[in-house]
Amino acid sequence: MTVLPPPRAPTPPTRSLAPGPVARVQGLALLAVVLLVWQLRGDPASPFFPAPSAWWSALLELHAAGRVVPALATTLGAFLAGLVTGTVVGAVVGALLGRVRGVDRAAGPTLEFLRALPPAAIVPLATLLLGFGAAMKVTVVGLAATWAVLLQARAAAGSLDATLEDVGRTLRLSRWRWLAAVLAPSLAPAVLRGLRLSTSTALVVTLVAEYLTGARGIGGLAAEAQRTFQPARVYAMLVLAAATSVLANALVTAAQARVATGRTRD
Amino acid sequence: MSARLHWTGVVALLGAATLWELAVAGGLVTLQFLPPPSEVARATVELVASGALPAAVRHTVVVTLVGWLVAVGVGTLAGLLLGLSPTARRWSGTSIDAARAVPPVLLVPVALLLFGFDVRMELLVVVYAGVWPPLVATAGGVGGVPAELLDVARTLRLSRAATVRRVVLPAAVPDVLVGARLSLTTCLVLAVVAEMLGNPAGLGNGIIRASQGLQPAAMLAHVVATGLLGIALDAAARSLVGRAPGGGAVS
Repeated sequence: MTVLPPPRAPTPPTRSLAPGPVARVQGLALLAVVLLVWQLRGDPASPFFPAPSAWWSALLELHAAGRVVPALATTLGAFLAGLVTGTVVGAVVGALLGRVRGVDRAAGPTLEFLRALPPAAIVPLATLLLGFGAAMKVTVVGLAATWAVLLQARAAAGSLDATLEDVGRTLRLSRWRWLAAVLAPSLAPAVLRGLRLSTSTALVVTLVAEYLTGARGIGGLAAEAQRTFQPARVYAMLVLAAATSVLANALVTAAQARVATGRTRD
Repeated sequence: MSARLHWTGVVALLGAATLWELAVAGGLVTLQFLPPPSEVARATVELVASGALPAAVRHTVVVTLVGWLVAVGVGTLAGLLLGLSPTARRWSGTSIDAARAVPPVLLVPVALLLFGFDVRMELLVVVYAGVWPPLVATAGGVGGVPAELLDVARTLRLSRAATVRRVVLPAAVPDVLVGARLSLTTCLVLAVVAEMLGNPAGLGNGIIRASQGLQPAAMLAHVVATGLLGIALDAAARSLVGRAPGGGAVS
């Protein structure tokens, strides 16, 4: 008698639709067709839908003017700095909340509120408090990145295997030693999961901050292109940002894979 | 996160707010742009009385919900078709990943070019951002129906249509709901972003206008309203499907 399998956990939406290297290349077919049709039927001078060739020339133009590389550097810099800061803070605070019930309950409603707040809403306040520079961007991105990591670390720290605590006691590890050698590695997969979840939000917030403050990054260039009615540039920035996003996700996934070796739990 | 309100937490929050108030009143702290809770409360009352805050909330809520419904409808349908057809998945998978990778905020300038400073611009951005979670989740759910269930359908000699209707769709429902739930959070975030960067209406616009007018109390009032809206929508989404995998969605 076959027993029906238990309900599966729903597929996390971060998973790609196209596993397998050959399928990955074949999967570009749809995109290629869309771009081709757009190219053939589009008017390069259209104010709304410039052809893909126009995007490419706009990008080359910007690069010739020496603006692409600095923009990428600015955006990536703020994004990575904020992401790393947010991850560290989220991991530490999350671990603390997971281990100390009292603090967890005390922080509950505040965290619930901050978690539900769209991070972009903080940008104007951050601008007033911290100005328009890199410090503001890193802070805002850091805040945005903290939540997912915090929640994951909190869940993992709260459900720590009891044997791990016993290990510390048996080996008579000092508090710090235990934190560094036992707690941190066991939280690493959860922290990386949170990091993966927050990567796209962090990039969006970086771009929002740049767009609003007219900074030099990709967001700033896109804002300028929109203001000066240069749609080809806007699309070029779009493609650039998408490429950055893909790169960031690939890096985080690789990091996840390295840390997860040997573990059977996700 | 638990939906129960811990009184310790509420007390802690009130305590912190009181400390903040006292610190400013006692002249210990004068941050020009971080007004004490009393001022924020006063600004909130003023904004509610003038009708500005309710109008902003209404606008953001309507745009978020309408965009969400369209996004879930389109995304779930597309996900269903993709899930049922491995061929379709094979030839479009990476393309969809590429389209998904575009940070939705950069749709704002594109939408501005198309629609100007208009609610349609907001809706375009919201729908674009919100369509992916349902699409990917539904495709995953439909495509990942356990083989045993499909065997049952084959044993019972069900037609393809009947198999889809009576085995595949019910098995995919949890995934569809998760996709819908994640989409709602995304829709709110992008509605606020679109309002901040483009459409002159709604909470996002209120925040920007207040910050440009150097009215931090009014700005904070809008920010608090946005946060509360986020909680309300999150709770509504939770009632739809329960906790998302991994301990909570990221807005």
